[in-house]
Amino acid sequence: MFAIPPPDVLIQGILSGILMGFVYALIAAGLSLIFGLMEIVNFAHGEFLMLSMYTAFWMYALFALDPLLSVPICAAVLFALGWLSYAGIIRRILGGPMLAQIFATFGLAIFLRSAAQFLWTPDFRQVGEAWIQGPVRILGISVGLPQVVASAACLIAFGILYWFITGTETGMALEATAQDRQAAALMGINTERMFALGWGLGSACVGVAGAFLASFFYVFPHVGGLFALIAYVTVALGGFGSVPGSLVAGVIIGVIEVLGGLLIAPAFKYVAVFVLYLIVVLLRPQGLLGKF
Amino acid sequence: MTALRPVRGVRGIALLAMVLLAALAFPWVFRLPYHRDLAIKVFLYAMLAQAWNILAGYCGQISLGHAVFFGTGAYTSTVLQMTWGMNPWVGLLAGVVLAVALSLLIGYPCFRLRGHYFAIATIAIGEIVQTLAINWDFIGGARGLTLTIQKDSLLAFQFHTSKYPYYYIMLGLLTLCLLVSWRIERTRLGYYLRAIREDPEAAASVGIPVAKYKQIAMAISAAFVAAGGTFYAQYVLYLDPDSVLPLSLSILVCVLGVVGGTGTLWGPLVGAALLIPLSEFTRITLGGTGRAADLVIYGALLTGVAVFQPAGLVGLIGRRQG
Amino acid sequence: MAVATVLSLVTAPLAQTKEVVIGVLYPMTGPVAQVGIDSVNAIKVALDIINNDMNINVPLGKGAGLPRLGGAKVRIVVVDHQGKPDIGLAEAERLITQEKVQALFGAYFSSVTNTASQVAERMGIPYLNAESSSPALTERGFKWFFRTSPHDGHFSLAMFDFMRDFEKKRGIKFKSVAILNEDTQFGADSAKVQEELAKRYGYEVAAKIPFRTGTTSLDAEIGRLKAANADVLLPSIYTSDAILFTRTARNLDYNPKAIIAQNAGYTDPRFVTDMGKEAEGAITRAPFALDLAAKKPLIPVINDMFKKLSGGRDISDVPARAFTGFLTLADAINRAGSTDPMAIQKALVETNIPADQLIMPWTGVKFDEKGQNAGVRAILQQLQGGVYHTIYPFELATKEPIYPIPAWSQRR
Repeated sequence: MFAIPPPDVLIQGILSGILMGFVYALIAAGLSLIFGLMEIVNFAHGEFLMLSMYTAFWMYALFALDPLLSVPICAAVLFALGWLSYAGIIRRILGGPMLAQIFATFGLAIFLRSAAQFLWTPDFRQVGEAWIQGPVRILGISVGLPQVVASAACLIAFGILYWFITGTETGMALEATAQDRQAAALMGINTERMFALGWGLGSACVGVAGAFLASFFYVFPHVGGLFALIAYVTVALGGFGSVPGSLVAGVIIGVIEVLGGLLIAPAFKYVAVFVLYLIVVLLRPQGLLGKF
Repeated sequence: MTALRPVRGVRGIALLAMVLLAALAFPWVFRLPYHRDLAIKVFLYAMLAQAWNILAGYCGQISLGHAVFFGTGAYTSTVLQMTWGMNPWVGLLAGVVLAVALSLLIGYPCFRLRGHYFAIATIAIGEIVQTLAINWDFIGGARGLTLTIQKDSLLAFQFHTSKYPYYYIMLGLLTLCLLVSWRIERTRLGYYLRAIREDPEAAASVGIPVAKYKQIAMAISAAFVAAGGTFYAQYVLYLDPDSVLPLSLSILVCVLGVVGGTGTLWGPLVGAALLIPLSEFTRITLGGTGRAADLVIYGALLTGVAVFQPAGLVGLIGRRQG
Repeated sequence: MAVATVLSLVTAPLAQTKEVVIGVLYPMTGPVAQVGIDSVNAIKVALDIINNDMNINVPLGKGAGLPRLGGAKVRIVVVDHQGKPDIGLAEAERLITQEKVQALFGAYFSSVTNTASQVAERMGIPYLNAESSSPALTERGFKWFFRTSPHDGHFSLAMFDFMRDFEKKRGIKFKSVAILNEDTQFGADSAKVQEELAKRYGYEVAAKIPFRTGTTSLDAEIGRLKAANADVLLPSIYTSDAILFTRTARNLDYNPKAIIAQNAGYTDPRFVTDMGKEAEGAITRAPFALDLAAKKPLIPVINDMFKKLSGGRDISDVPARAFTGFLTLADAINRAGSTDPMAIQKALVETNIPADQLIMPWTGVKFDEKGQNAGVRAILQQLQGGVYHTIYPFELATKEPIYPIPAWSQRR
């Protein structure tokens, strides 16, 4: 089973892993943002991604909008979804028992997944003719153009998010609320608004990622499951609450997934990723860059 | 969150006796295999949910990967039977032992983790185990195992002419699980578990060995789930990773427990008695159209219960405050 | 008056069997719900033909209802097993004991067919399976189980026979094969058979790659395939993975000389529409070939009836087999002349439907002692110009095979 592939295959794999890693990173960033604010894991994160992908798909199927053009739409739809989820559900269970915190979003996940199946059937949907498709050569290595564009976009989104948090007043208020809720409230920051904003922003990140994924990945009600699991691992590795940590961790996970597949066996690539999660949370619970 | 209030005193005992009598008489009244099968499924899932409840409801450790124990039980007894001809009842015990061992293996590192992290860890472990099972040819891999059909006998744990024996065995297992839960509730073990659930640090500070009792809860939980796994294997006579190890089973067990009422004796049974027939009903009436109507309801119920009534349905009936 | 009374006495017992009920099990929800929906539609086409008087050259095409049961109509009860073997078991029991069906039909997933047919065997009810691919199903020594369709063994055999015959034809030699399969029962079964056959036919298995169905990327898998550099790739994968695979192969510039697929994703009409051009040159085993319409005038007739129910979708592999299997079952019940299970079983054993009454490219329907149709013939088709054409057996071929598959840079 162990086998070292030739160097060009290895390099191609690593490059693909890095590209996918940026996408994982953006998905994880949203999760990390939410957790940093209120110590709640959004178990419906994968389903948010799924809804974003469906949005992009329907924009394509009904209005012939390429997913690239749907990015702002998906971001907006998901922002609203996140905000509403907070206002309608999360707000009521903050500070409640652990059971309520876990199952509130867990139930939401099951509901959204099943509702998607109910409304749109379990059939796999695909954006047939995306503007961005096919291979591209980077330094002589062939990789997918959609993956390159997606990762570039996710990097840009990351940059915007980071600038927002550190460079704008609202962003800094958000960060302050994450650091110390009571102190922030004392300073006059409307913590309720910050929480809702956090959910909205975190979901919007997933919205952007989903729009780009839709250009090369197939869409169906359960598509969010595996991406969400990978996101949990990414957040844990990067550090719950650390947005920059998600970036680093995402890339690492992406590369480990591919290397695990190339060097050990593709059937176990996700086992490698999950084992990594266990190692990280057990040995270094704060992850690479997280506050704990 | 303690036992349903009405089950106290003479009135309570009378009610209990009636319920038991009804359960015993059920297969004589409802003779169609389909109804008995439904009842058997309700009992099985109720037991799984109650076992989960011991760890999650009483002790507060939310496991989202409980299917690993189910699969352990099912695969152990089946593989022992088919490779070495071991009797399935002995196999059941072997499965229980293995599941308890697994629970120790999982618990030792993972109980250090708090709430959300622990929950995600259980999902990760569930995924790892399922992937390993799919790729392990010795236990059949993705193709699964078909049990050799044997003549009806209690010894062989197979019955083909009628479902009576399966019904009563499952009822027996469920009753045993409920009895054990009831004992846990009323003894010091239950007190410790509740203390750990409410505030682990405070519990530790008064000298309760937190890790040890979490392990005990998980071991008891795993034991019953594994027994359920062996029962399933002997009932359906076929198993594969997708039917005994999937995330969807872990989720179902949680849904039944939460909606029925965690931390209570009757919650999971109420949850199962309500939701399993509901699921069957929607499958039969709406199933032909390819929609997951029952799951939509489950999801909404789960969120609704978590937000508005964490004590579950039983909490509603008992008119507890949250 | 007396004649009428005597006549009524004679016809009365026959007239009592007003209808024949058949229980149909398919996955109607979940990821492969479309297969269930398509198959049920195909069965409805068959029902239409059986119950109404049409002039079509298939069993029971002429005349309304089942002639030897006094024109009794056939009715189906459809249940959704959700892909779960325990539900299949419970439903089989319910169909037999409550709906009082005369026979069971289905269930696509080999795991569900396994448990459901066990019930049928136990209760002495005929079970006809039209599309499950696990060879083990007809190795159980069952007396009530009949399968019209070829299984993985037949298909894979055809693939390797093709490779050997093609080598002779073109004077080339394949050295190695690579097996890529998704990790559920279908893929695992197929991979196992292919590995055994590869050894038997003397090909090196350069790589054996099972992967998690629904994986987020196939980069690692394709990297391994590139490293293994086998001459022929043998994929057993479903539609979504097939689409992802084809796209990723293009992006990462992976191009084996030949791809011979175990159908599933590759014969899904959606794959052909979305990926037809990228998947140029892909060969697949096909139990059913739409392009044989020229040689089989039955095909367009049935296809048109199917398209009316399916909203324009062409009939494809799985529903075509469901259609054929259902007619076989109804034909047997008719020949039995009664709804007695033993009579139906006997009639099934005696089945002998000739090739020209089938839309399948088989030599006929005739069950061997294990209940497996011995008249099956697997054919291979290749995507050329976005459409599948039959290329093997060579005497049925409508086109020459393209070999090797042109490199990505040389296409478009």
